[in-house]
Amino acid sequence: MNVVDTRRAKPAAKLLSGNAACAAGAIAAGCKFFAGYPITPSSEIAERLATLLPRNNGVFVQMEDEIAAMAAVIGASMGGVKALTATSGPGFSLKQENIGYAAGAEIPCVIVNVMRGGPSTGMPTRPSQADIMQSRYGSHGDYPIIVLAPASAREIYDETIRAFDLAEICRSPVVLLYDQVIAQSSETVALGAAPAAHAERKRASGPRETYKPFAVGADGIPAMARPGDGYRTHTTGLTHGEDGFPTQNPEAVDRNLSRLFTKLDHHRELIDSWETVRCDDADVVIVAIGISARAAKRAVELCRAEGKRVGLFRPITLWPFPEAALREAVKTARAVLVPELNLGQLRHEVERLLGRDRVEGINLINGEPIGPAQIAARASQLASEA
Amino acid sequence: MPKSRIELRFGGTGGQGLLLSAKMLADALAAEGKHVAQSQTYEPTSRGGFCNADLVIAGGEVDYPLPIAFDHLVLLDKMAIKPSWPRLKPGALVIADTRLCPELPAGDVRLHHLPLSRTALELGSERVTNIVALGVLVEMTGICKRKSIEQVVRADAPRGFLDLNMDALAAGYALATPVPAAAS
Amino acid sequence: MFTDAPNFDIRNYLRMEMMPHFLCPGCGHGMALRALLWALHELDIDKDKLAVVSGIGCAGRLSAYIDANTFHTTHGRPLAYATGLALARPDLHVVVISGDGDCLAIGGNHLIHACRRNLKLTCLMLNNEIYGMTGGQVSPTTSETRLTTTTPLGNTEPNFDACALATAAGAGFVGREVTRHVPKLKELIKAGLQHPGFAFVEVLSDCTEVYGRKNDMGSSAEMVMRQKSEMRPSVYRDSVDTPFRSTDLPTGILTRNDRPEYGASLRRAAALASKGAH
Repeated sequence: MNVVDTRRAKPAAKLLSGNAACAAGAIAAGCKFFAGYPITPSSEIAERLATLLPRNNGVFVQMEDEIAAMAAVIGASMGGVKALTATSGPGFSLKQENIGYAAGAEIPCVIVNVMRGGPSTGMPTRPSQADIMQSRYGSHGDYPIIVLAPASAREIYDETIRAFDLAEICRSPVVLLYDQVIAQSSETVALGAAPAAHAERKRASGPRETYKPFAVGADGIPAMARPGDGYRTHTTGLTHGEDGFPTQNPEAVDRNLSRLFTKLDHHRELIDSWETVRCDDADVVIVAIGISARAAKRAVELCRAEGKRVGLFRPITLWPFPEAALREAVKTARAVLVPELNLGQLRHEVERLLGRDRVEGINLINGEPIGPAQIAARASQLASEA
Repeated sequence: MPKSRIELRFGGTGGQGLLLSAKMLADALAAEGKHVAQSQTYEPTSRGGFCNADLVIAGGEVDYPLPIAFDHLVLLDKMAIKPSWPRLKPGALVIADTRLCPELPAGDVRLHHLPLSRTALELGSERVTNIVALGVLVEMTGICKRKSIEQVVRADAPRGFLDLNMDALAAGYALATPVPAAAS
Repeated sequence: MFTDAPNFDIRNYLRMEMMPHFLCPGCGHGMALRALLWALHELDIDKDKLAVVSGIGCAGRLSAYIDANTFHTTHGRPLAYATGLALARPDLHVVVISGDGDCLAIGGNHLIHACRRNLKLTCLMLNNEIYGMTGGQVSPTTSETRLTTTTPLGNTEPNFDACALATAAGAGFVGREVTRHVPKLKELIKAGLQHPGFAFVEVLSDCTEVYGRKNDMGSSAEMVMRQKSEMRPSVYRDSVDTPFRSTDLPTGILTRNDRPEYGASLRRAAALASKGAH
C-alpha cells in the first residue's frame, strides 16, 4: 500500500540516480533538516540536500561524526521538525547507539543506509546487502523499527516519502536500506508534483495537567508534545512510565516496553509493502531485494521463456517482514531461492518463516552483483526438479 | 533476451566526458518514451583510470539495470578495451578512435575505426571527442532521432560552447556516413 | 531561602513531584542547579521556551528536575542533540547540562566542534573530577595522584583544563566558577545565557561520596571550603586561606568574543540562496 497518493500529471522523464531521488523525495515529504557525515556511497544525498534544504526553508548541517549526525537529527525531530540522515555501513554502525534512543524514546526520524561491501571499511564503491540484520537488530535491547528496501530510483523517491509518513504515524525511526548499485545508477524517472498532504505526528492536546506523554489509545502510539506548546515534558532513554519519567517499577516498565514492541502491529496495513511477479502458479519463488531483485525479475522472464514456472517475491518493507504475503506467494512453490549479496541474512528470515526444507540461497560477497543468468540457471534447475 | 533491450557502453578514461555523452543519449531516449538505466563502475581514482558509462535501454521498464553484454561499444581509450571486449555480443557494433585505440583485438564485431579525436581537434577542441562519438553512434544505429539528440545537446551544452558541440555532433553524423567506394 | 534572592522561589522552576531528588547528601550539583535556575529566573526566561538537554551521569540526571522541556539523551551526545534542536528551533532557549566524563571524554569531539561552530547554546559542564554514577572511576579532569576505583595506585594521567580547551576550540564565551559561590556562579551563568554564541561554563563541583571520601578530603562542608583554599581559584589569592596550589584555576569570564553565531550565519546564507533561486 501507499500512504501517499502518487498519481500525478505525467511529467517529462529525467535521468535520476537513486541518491538524487532520495534527496528529491525528502524535500517532497516535507523534510526540513538533514545532518550527516560524508561517506561513500551515500554522500550524493547530503550534497543534494546541502543545496535543496536552504532553498526550502530547511537546515543542512554536516556534523563532526556519524554519531553526532544521528543525535542532531533526533534533536531536530524532538523540536518538531522532520529530519533525515544518510550513511553507509560503517556510519550505520556508529549511529546504532542513537537509533536505539529514537526507538526507545519514540522520536520520528529517517535514516538512509546505502549498503556497501563489509565488514569494516570493506568495499566503499561496491554493492552489498549485508546490513539486512544490522538494520533490524543493530542497537542493543529489544526494539521495534521499520526498514524499507526500495529497488529503483523511482521507488526510492516514493519510499522516501513513505518513510517520513511512517516515521510520523508510528513515532519510530525508519531506515531506507538500499545498495550501491541502486544508489548510484541513474534511471529515467518522471517525478510529478510533490504530494499535497503528508502524515504528521499525533500532537499533544488538551490541558497539561491531564496529558501523559506515553499514554496511548487503541493505535498504540502516544501523542507527542512539542517544545514551546506548554507541555514541558521529559524525554529519556531510561525506561520510563506513562509520565515520561524514569522508572524501574517492573509493572510500569513491562507495560510500556510491551506496548512499544507491539505498537507497529496496529499499523501493519500501512507498513507492509511488497511486489509479487508471477507467483500464482510458480514451482519456484525467488525472494530478493534491491539489485538482486532486479536481476531476479529478469531471471523470471528468462525462465518463463523456457516454460519454467518461476516467480518473484520482493519485500519492499523489509522489517517488519511481510510474512503473511510471503506465505501466500509461495503457496504453490516447492522451492524457494534467495539470491543476496551476503552470506544468507535474508535467507535466515525466509527459513524462519518457511522452514529450511525448500529454501536455498545464492550468495555473493566479492563486490559484484549477482547477474540474472546465474539466478535463472538455478531457478530453472529447481523448477525442473520440482 | 527480449529484442527491445539494448545495452551499450562509452568506454575510455576519466575526464573524457563519457558520462555526459551517456546522459545526453539517455535524455534523448527518454524524450522518445524509452526507459533507460545508466551506470558506471566507481573506482578510487576519478581521473586518469579506466572509466565507463553504460546504458541499458528498453521499451518498457528496465528490469535489470546493469549491462550483461553490449550491443554497441564506443572506445575512446585503449585502457577500456580489456574490461569491455569480453562483454561484446556476437556481431556487436564497435566504434573506436584510431589515435587513442590504435590496436584492437580480433572478434566477431562490426568494427568502425574512426578518427574521432582528430575530427574534434580539427573542430577546435579535443574535448568534444565524446560528442563526435555520440553523433557517430546515433547516426549508425538510429537508436534515437537526430532531432532528439540535438535538442538535448542544445539544452545541455556548456554556455559558449553550443556551436562547437553542434558542429561536433554534425561531424559525427558525417563520419558515420559510408564513404563512396570510388573515393577509397 | 537566600536573603539576597527575595523574589526567587526555586520551587517555581523545579518539578516538585520529582522530589526527593537522587543526588547524594553533600553533592555539589544541587548548588549548580540552584545557580542555573536562579539565573533563568533573573533573565525571565519562559519555561515553555526553555529546552534543557543533558547527557548521562549524575549531571545528566538534573534535567528531569527542571520544569521545562527536558531531554535526557545518550552518553556524551547532549551537545549534538542540542545542535539539532537549536538549529531546528531557533526560538527556543537551549541549555545543555553535562559532566566532565560526558563532555570531555566520550563527548569530547562534540564539545570541540560545538565550540568551533559557535551555535547559540549554553553548556554547563559540572566538573566533579570523577565518574560518580558508575561508582567513582577516573575522569579526564581527575587531578594527578588522586585515588579512584580505576586508579588504585593514584592517577598518573594529566588532566584537562576544559576552559582552555573550549577557548582554543573557538567558543564565543568561556567561564568557570565554583559551587561555593552560588551568587557568583549565577552571575556567570547569566552572562553565558545572554551571550549570542556558544557559551561554555565549567562549574567546579564536588563529589563527596565516591571521590572525597576515597581521598580523605573531609566532609562536604570541608570540601566546599577546600574550593577556596586548596583546589582553586586565583581570584581568592589575597584571602586568608593558604597555601594555594600551583594548579590554581582562574575563575570568572575567561573568554568573550563576537565571533559570528552559527545559526544566524546559516540563516543568512539560506536567505541569499532562496533569493537567488527565485
